[in-house]
Amino acid sequence: MKKLYKKYIRSFALAILFTTTSQAQIAKAQIQATGLTCSMCSNAINKQLKSLAEVENVEIDLNTNTFTVTLKENNSLKPSVFKENVEKAGFFIGSLILTVKPETIAKEPYIIVDGKEKQANEIQIQVLDKGYVTDKTIKKLAKSYKNSMTFNNNNETDFHIKILN
Amino acid sequence: MRNLICSFFLLANTFILSAQIEVGDKLPSVTLKSSDNKEINIASFEGKYILIDFWASWCGPCRLGNKKLVKLYATLNPSKIEIIGISIDTDPNKWIKAIAKDKITFLQLIDANGFDAKTALLFGVEELPSKYLFNEKGILIIKNPTDEQIINLIK
Repeated sequence: MKKLYKKYIRSFALAILFTTTSQAQIAKAQIQATGLTCSMCSNAINKQLKSLAEVENVEIDLNTNTFTVTLKENNSLKPSVFKENVEKAGFFIGSLILTVKPETIAKEPYIIVDGKEKQANEIQIQVLDKGYVTDKTIKKLAKSYKNSMTFNNNNETDFHIKILN
Repeated sequence: MRNLICSFFLLANTFILSAQIEVGDKLPSVTLKSSDNKEINIASFEGKYILIDFWASWCGPCRLGNKKLVKLYATLNPSKIEIIGISIDTDPNKWIKAIAKDKITFLQLIDANGFDAKTALLFGVEELPSKYLFNEKGILIIKNPTDEQIINLIK
């Protein structure tokens, strides 16, 4: 019995260690989908997202037409995974807002182009690259960030972000 | 024993997940709550044609479809066909408001669990709106029938 108790404490401590040392991960993704038809009226996006092993839960907010995807801890997903899966379901991303830890965006592949870095527990960022905003928005953004070294390269491996909160 | 129970649930689960109604299949026995708060079994209307229409208040194309369906229903003989709307709204208040706004006169039931609603899974609903027309014997004859197809059958 005592042994079991010890084992318990050890695994508990280990769990805490892991959560505190975990970094560079996305906790939540809010996806606004667009497409020719009513994107909420199809089960396709919902099903596609739920099929990912890293996805904990998908909630659909019908007032804002948003899919809120809660992700499992210690995942190493990149924003491109949402784009790929929404497109696989036959739709496009209209906007993608991610909830991340500050250390996540301090490293590659993220490039901050708007908003100030904050020392919060969790911050919200919007991905501004092509395929993550509407076509109309990307035209505006291309002009706004014409002085950026990388924004208009349309490099699919880096992500230009705006810090929202 | 525990294993047996586990495997039973696993089996039941896969059955529900893969369930989908095809043409020629029988109308399942499902009891749902109606907009006037009654428990209604959809299989209790056998002897008439039954049109089941899955929708939700937030689905634009469904709301347009509701208005068309209300008009169609007014021209049909109610002793020959029963139209049953099944909403998968998660908020029953929005459902009730939509029924009033679209002036729906035919039977309205709810399975308030979105695409994960048991009835939606049972029918294999992948998109809204989705319609299923059953004949007097309760056999599925057409998925997503047109107005003309319905009118021609129920002359």
